[in-house]
Amino acid sequence: MQSQTIPNNLKISPYLVFYVMISMQIGIGILGYQRIIADYAGHDAWISILILGVYIHIVLWMMYKLCEMVNGDIITVHEFLFGRFISKVASFAFVLFYITYLLSFILNFIEVIQIWMFPDINNFAFSVLFLLLAIYIVYGGLRTVVGICFFGTILPAYLVFTFTFTLKYADFTHLLPIWEHKFTELLQASYHMSLTSVGFEAILFIYPFINQPQKSKKWAHIGVATTTIFYTVLAIIAFSYFSKKQLENTIWATLSMWQMVQFPFVERFEYIGVANWCLILLPNICLSLWIASRLLKRATKLKQRKGAILISAISVIIVTFFEKGVDIERFNQIVERMSFAFVFVYVPLLYCLSLIIKKVKKT
Amino acid sequence: MIPLSIWDKFKKIKNDDWKSLLKLSTDFQSTYYFNEKTNERFGFHFYATLVDEQIIQESALPALLTKKFESLDDLHRIVPIADIHILKNPRDIEQKLLNGYVLVTLDSDKNRFGFIAAQKEIVRSLSQPEIEFSVIGPKEAFVEAIGQNLNLIRKRLPIKELISQEYTVGKLSKTKVAVLHIEGITNKDNVDTVKQRIKNIEIDTISDSSNIVELLSDNSNSLFPQLLDTERPDRVAAILAEGKIAIIVDGSPHVLIAPTTLIEFFSAFEDYFLNWIVATFFRLVRFFAVVFSVLVTPIYVAAMTYQYELIPPDLLGILVTSRRTIPLPPILEALFLELTIELLREAGARLPTKVGQTIGIVGGIVIGTASVEAGLTSNVLLIFVALGALGSFTTPVYKMGNTIRVLRFPFLLFAQFWGVLGILFCFCILIAHLLRLTSLGRPFLAPIYPLRVADMKDTLIRAPLQKMYRRPHVLRTQKPKRFNKKKAENPKDIDE
Repeated sequence: MQSQTIPNNLKISPYLVFYVMISMQIGIGILGYQRIIADYAGHDAWISILILGVYIHIVLWMMYKLCEMVNGDIITVHEFLFGRFISKVASFAFVLFYITYLLSFILNFIEVIQIWMFPDINNFAFSVLFLLLAIYIVYGGLRTVVGICFFGTILPAYLVFTFTFTLKYADFTHLLPIWEHKFTELLQASYHMSLTSVGFEAILFIYPFINQPQKSKKWAHIGVATTTIFYTVLAIIAFSYFSKKQLENTIWATLSMWQMVQFPFVERFEYIGVANWCLILLPNICLSLWIASRLLKRATKLKQRKGAILISAISVIIVTFFEKGVDIERFNQIVERMSFAFVFVYVPLLYCLSLIIKKVKKT
Repeated sequence: MIPLSIWDKFKKIKNDDWKSLLKLSTDFQSTYYFNEKTNERFGFHFYATLVDEQIIQESALPALLTKKFESLDDLHRIVPIADIHILKNPRDIEQKLLNGYVLVTLDSDKNRFGFIAAQKEIVRSLSQPEIEFSVIGPKEAFVEAIGQNLNLIRKRLPIKELISQEYTVGKLSKTKVAVLHIEGITNKDNVDTVKQRIKNIEIDTISDSSNIVELLSDNSNSLFPQLLDTERPDRVAAILAEGKIAIIVDGSPHVLIAPTTLIEFFSAFEDYFLNWIVATFFRLVRFFAVVFSVLVTPIYVAAMTYQYELIPPDLLGILVTSRRTIPLPPILEALFLELTIELLREAGARLPTKVGQTIGIVGGIVIGTASVEAGLTSNVLLIFVALGALGSFTTPVYKMGNTIRVLRFPFLLFAQFWGVLGILFCFCILIAHLLRLTSLGRPFLAPIYPLRVADMKDTLIRAPLQKMYRRPHVLRTQKPKRFNKKKAENPKDIDE
């Protein structure tokens, strides 16, 4: 399981990490995170996003430090710190992590489609087609996957402007008084924001594929900061647009805000918005699939092509077993705990551990 | 013609054997003469259909008859033609004869063969470009003869660095394929890739440069052409200077350009002859036309089948009224009209020009109005489909226009499956496919992905010529700069 050297023509330019960060962070959570964080910190919840944002920067910095230490991905880090056996166990754990991650995207997206567009859309057919597309992209290598990240960020970027339609009806006094809630409440909101904000941990896996990874650091931080600012602004818009009572009853606040959008040729914009999520979710699914299949290859020598098909097949089977609503809610809670534990607890721990082990190894 | 590879079966060919197969063709002629001075008997053998008899009668024969002709070496001295070979191997005879040489045999020198070039060149005169016509700019187009095409390009680039290398492709057609590049500018890897791929081609006949496109493409299963073909010498000269490679195929009036990007297929060469603001405007119009052309009918189907809430009430009223009496579901209605347009186009393309025009009028006016009046289609959709067809004809490269027309059918199907979501899904497939495409190993979507802001000067916009002082980054040329930017701009202060 030596960390293989990646040929230069498969590597990506450092600036593309910016798009990877944004497209991986923005997923399904953005459609309705406002209500969830407002449950804990009310109109102050936007501060929680900023708090989390600062923490994300610290974690990202640690991730880079870890990868730089071994000049490889997180599996190499594990191998370096704990030996081969543990690193294999870790690979399998990460494969499972990314399969659940992938599932959460597909399941939630299907739910959104069922609620907003097609009540009877077929889980099976949709997930099969979507994953076939993902496999096609993964077969093109990381460059193609990152290309999808790029277009998944650039093309739907126009949606940002559609939120200005709500400004007409926004009442910014909703935000006052600032900092009314306890700090623990804010932290609780931050915790529940975590699922919406994760995704940047992909850097742990694509690190060896970045050309001159040192240069990509700047872009990664800019990307993460952009998402944080975007989330904060969107939360502020939502808090000022919806009254407190209204927000409590709005599961998909972002989608509901689109109901205000009106063009002379488009009446109900949320349809276009939901359809656009196809393009926004695609990078998440593709990169997850890519990471999972690559880890599987590193752990078992199964070819990445076959691994991608295997993982997709497993995902499709699981998706068909899910029922609407309650199941997905519970599943999301699991994913939330898992991703929080991995990104915001395990990675810092690993970093501290690495410092200690490095010292011990030196002496 | 009889395949002459039967030659290879003879391990040792006797010196007279070469004749046995050639004689089967009636246009193969052998005549014998006696030299006036030495009284040596010599023979002329040639394919009458391949050689220019004027050359034989006016240059070769008088000299050989009247001047002293003792051995084949004398050919160089007495015949006033530069291209003369004297060969020993009888195996070479076949190829030379078929290339339009006249074989000269001398009875006293039976082991050697003299060849005099007398190719008959049937060339048509230059004509105007028909597919890439431009109102402004040069009006000459390539013809079928490779020599004439090379001449057209060399006249525009009179530099010794313009290198042309010729290959023969096709076991039976023996088509000449020339690879052109400018030494010192073009990326060497690209040139080597093209040469290697041409050498590796294994096929019997090449009918047109389109065959070469298919054989050289990185992904020949793609709907998108990955090599640009053009009939304009000015365009070829310009792209050679840009650092790309041109491939000329004998017998084809289209020269290939590689590597290309998607954007290039939407830029007409006339853009460079217009004011840059006007050209940019036209380019944007063209892009809009293409997007509109692909998406308009699918959106109609999506909106009419599933998401009619998308459409504002006033507009919906018009649509519903126009569809009130239509018995068909929107998808069938759309397919019916789209296929009608395709039929008209196909019929127009296969018929002579004048009949084609009539078909256009009959189709456009009669079928269109009649189908609306009969209540088979709504007149709103008729407008959309006609506009969409018009949009697809605005692509400056014919092959890309075909692609655009086919492209709307998968979109239509997905629109029928999942409405707007299906259209977006199909769009995702399209992007994924384009991302995976390469042209000679270079990304097809450059300079959008990978993003090169400096290369964006010649994409959606056409920047002023002096701003385009760099060669496209994606080509990785040996000389990234075209000219000195400062010299070109020559800034003057107000009071100067």
